[in-house]
Amino acid sequence: MAKYMTLLWGSGSPPCWRVMIALEEKNLQGYNQKLLSLEKLEHKSKELLAINPRGQLPTFKHGDNVLSESYAVCFYLESQFKSQGTKLIPDGPAEQALMYQRMFEGLTFYEKLNVRNKEALVTELRLWEGYLQKLGSGSYLAGPSFTLADVVVFPTVGTVFRFGLSPERYPKLGEYHNLLKERPSIRASWPPHWLESPKGLDTLKDI
Amino acid sequence: MAKYMTLLWGSGSPPCWRVMIALEEKNLQGYNQKLLSLEKLEHKSKELLAINPRGQLPTFKHGDNVLSESYAVCFYLESQFKSQGTKLIPDGPAEQALMYQRMFEGLTFYEKLSKYYYSSEPQTLKRNKEALVTELRLWEGYLQKLGSGSYLAGPSFTLADVVVFPTVGTVFRFGLSPERYPKLGEYHNLLKERPSIRASWPPHWLESPKGLDTLKDI
Repeated sequence: MAKYMTLLWGSGSPPCWRVMIALEEKNLQGYNQKLLSLEKLEHKSKELLAINPRGQLPTFKHGDNVLSESYAVCFYLESQFKSQGTKLIPDGPAEQALMYQRMFEGLTFYEKLNVRNKEALVTELRLWEGYLQKLGSGSYLAGPSFTLADVVVFPTVGTVFRFGLSPERYPKLGEYHNLLKERPSIRASWPPHWLESPKGLDTLKDI
Repeated sequence: MAKYMTLLWGSGSPPCWRVMIALEEKNLQGYNQKLLSLEKLEHKSKELLAINPRGQLPTFKHGDNVLSESYAVCFYLESQFKSQGTKLIPDGPAEQALMYQRMFEGLTFYEKLSKYYYSSEPQTLKRNKEALVTELRLWEGYLQKLGSGSYLAGPSFTLADVVVFPTVGTVFRFGLSPERYPKLGEYHNLLKERPSIRASWPPHWLESPKGLDTLKDI
């Protein structure tokens, strides 16, 4: 199955990372992949624009099916490969509702990270800190199990700590980050250039 | 089932409309609902902030489950009520892939519309208008490729139509020209007759049938 899949991606891009985590979780290692340089604007190359007019990464192909929206890929993989790997959508209504809610709030979280409005980002971080506080230690975003909510939101959490967020100021997020960074799918898909230079940035050190 | 559901909504809000279409499609009519006035900032009232700290509409409750993200509600309803009403997620991989792809592109479509609608400075207005035109042409192209009478993901009505139609309804309400965007116009005409869409049509649009002409010339 994985041999009929191709992923075009960029290192450190949270949307790309979501897809890579999902592929690992569904036991689809061995997919074909091409790492493009975001800095060199390779995502705006003719080759990519030919399959994806929006010129965005990730771009994922499975046979003739082309998907260039990370959440779309994640949902598609869980649906098509429901019977293999980790079960990423729980059955229980309460857990499911919480998972879907956090997944879509995750889009807002990622958006606030990209906009230069520190106050908005702090408000957002405090919300997530609160969500984790309410669930208790060792919990995932939607409860006791790892779900699609973690697949799509962890890359944003990984990024804020890469950018120097203080785990002393955000202890619950710090705990969640420590818990998930050891997960095999996340270790396997950790951005290569972060491994090359382990010391991150300190953009978010003081917020 | 519907009696244990409550929807807090605003008239003409595409995210709210998505949820209402989904509820109709899953035969969950009879849910409790409260129409809030966006103009009077009722969505920032203490009552709403108590259940939803982001103070957003729609806010949907099903028993103890509170959802305030329209896509989350749509997915939740399809999953929880899979066996009733319209099947909103097709089984076939190709149709499914296209459905998910268009659903998430639908967020970009709505964003481009909102950005243009809310921009005021001449520089950003011009840039946002161009971005919206580019977006509209993409969707016109998508519908062109699928052929007349098609839904966004192919021959069947799916979640992609549930979440994207409200944006399409809005652009035509704002005066978009069906002559310039004939495929979108066709799609709009096809869907506005669908029972779930008629049933959830924004009340204030029915009260004043003549829309705006913000998008008349784009």
